[in-house]
Amino acid sequence: MFYLGLIWEYFTNYVKTRLTYRADFWVEVISDLLFQATNLIFIFVVFAHTETLGGFTEAEVVFVYGYFMVPYGLYSCFINLWNFGDRYIVKGEMDRILTRPAHSLFQIFLENLDPPSLIGSVIGIIIMIWSGGQLGLEMEWWYIPALIIMTIGSTLIYAGIYIILTSVSFYSDSPTGIIPLMVNIQTYGRYPITIYNRAIQIILTWVLPFAFVGIYPAALFLQREEMMAMAWLTPVMGLLFFSVSLLLWNSGVKRYRGAGS
Amino acid sequence: MQAIEVQDLRKTFRIQQSRGGLKGALQDLFAREYHEVAAVNDISFTIPQGEICGYIGENGAGKSTTIKMLTGILVPTSGHIQVNGYVPYQEREKFVQGIGVVFGQRSQLWWDIGVIESFQLLRKVYQVSEADYKKRLDELVERLQLQELLSRPVRKLSLGQRMRCELVAALLHNPSIVFLDEPTIGLDIVVKSEIREFLKDLNRTQGTTILLTTHDLQDIEALCSRVIMLDAGSIIYDGGLNELKTRWGRGRELRFQFGGAVKAEQLNGWTMGLPVTWTQESDLVATALVPADMAVSDVFSRILSQAEVTDVQISETSTDEIVRQIYSSGSAEKPEVKLHV
Repeated sequence: MFYLGLIWEYFTNYVKTRLTYRADFWVEVISDLLFQATNLIFIFVVFAHTETLGGFTEAEVVFVYGYFMVPYGLYSCFINLWNFGDRYIVKGEMDRILTRPAHSLFQIFLENLDPPSLIGSVIGIIIMIWSGGQLGLEMEWWYIPALIIMTIGSTLIYAGIYIILTSVSFYSDSPTGIIPLMVNIQTYGRYPITIYNRAIQIILTWVLPFAFVGIYPAALFLQREEMMAMAWLTPVMGLLFFSVSLLLWNSGVKRYRGAGS
Repeated sequence: MQAIEVQDLRKTFRIQQSRGGLKGALQDLFAREYHEVAAVNDISFTIPQGEICGYIGENGAGKSTTIKMLTGILVPTSGHIQVNGYVPYQEREKFVQGIGVVFGQRSQLWWDIGVIESFQLLRKVYQVSEADYKKRLDELVERLQLQELLSRPVRKLSLGQRMRCELVAALLHNPSIVFLDEPTIGLDIVVKSEIREFLKDLNRTQGTTILLTTHDLQDIEALCSRVIMLDAGSIIYDGGLNELKTRWGRGRELRFQFGGAVKAEQLNGWTMGLPVTWTQESDLVATALVPADMAVSDVFSRILSQAEVTDVQISETSTDEIVRQIYSSGSAEKPEVKLHV
């Protein structure tokens, strides 16, 4: 309850600051959407050359992409660790965080809230409805609770992976270059996993489980029998990765050295 | 109860040793060499509740590192800390509820929003009730005269205004211990003395324990009954400011300007039998160092009866002077008095 209240407080403050820079707000929203649009266009280009991709039709792949946008929007809004190493470790702002009575990671999320990203989630849902219509998918009552559970699971996986990677900055003195690499790999999960070779499939499922933020949970709604079991693993993997990342973070914070002042 | 208890506290940092040259850089890539530096080296002290304690030392002496361990930011390498009944780094979130922290070089406030909104946010973070918050804020705003500043964004405040707001931000949740790391850095004399007065009041009316680091010894003189002096990670002095002065103060200096040329032998002759040391600047100007336990008038009467004096100045060794000497010698043991004539 305390933490929910804080989210609201920080959100209203975000709005207050942002209202002064209105143009900036729209530029951010539009550039976000353009970025997503180019990805979609890429899908259409691919399907101009082939009927199916790893056994998935164009509408199905678009549906998967729509699903991906939902947890991705949530992740970008609430879990923004981009500038962590620079702002909190190198500049020592972690000092301030650690003198306040709330969990350190949570405070960092709050200070970097990015509500415009949520527009991406909304558009993702629209894409799912549209491509679902093309596929003739019947809307069933359990879709809504299932979508909520899957979205939470996927968001936790994303969060877990990036928190683990960010925690590394507590252990190594130089910021790592892993994150840009990750941003590249994460796009792999949006396509039918069957198109990759076995090794990549295993990595995307168990090591960097980006397939759980895209193809697996989306397969549940597409009623793909062969991926059903994997789809239901999404919330389990989410909790697992998130718990591991929290443990790593908590022990990492104990190694924080501060910036000289 | 003791507000702060520290026993054999130590913090070492592992520093990478860079080897020079291209060859060294390549070697560093594969096998790094580290060496350990003790920023704080087995220090122990206790601070009772309601005390204002000054924590001083040169840059890099380990002051900030100690403060960061006491506030739960850094985990000590070894040793025992207890602040306000907690071990800071263990139950951090509960512990910080009872302390206030001001870092002179770092802001607690949100840059873009009005000061009052920052306070509101902190109220939520510290879970202060609306009634307590209002009462406390009114008191503090009144006391520090912030009425006009409250709606301004922090980035538009001057340093002095900001620092006063920082103090409010650190005190909204009514902490029983306040840590201030260089709270007066970069401020003008007026604001400095306002802040000192405010801290003194806070200590007197609320019984707040205050630990502050500073480079401005006037802060210490105005506020602290006790000083802890740190050098290279170790405590070299812990005690009252007055004791430090009497132990280190070299008495008073009398600077005489004579009407006619005098010689060193003459000077020594005039104060024969008195424990006075002379330093001569020129034929016309000489300074007599008079120990603290001797009356200045004795020297006066001797000199005035012998020589024509056009001007006299009396000065006491300042705290700045004392501390400079201690820093440069690296020890608070009183050095042997050197006689030089």
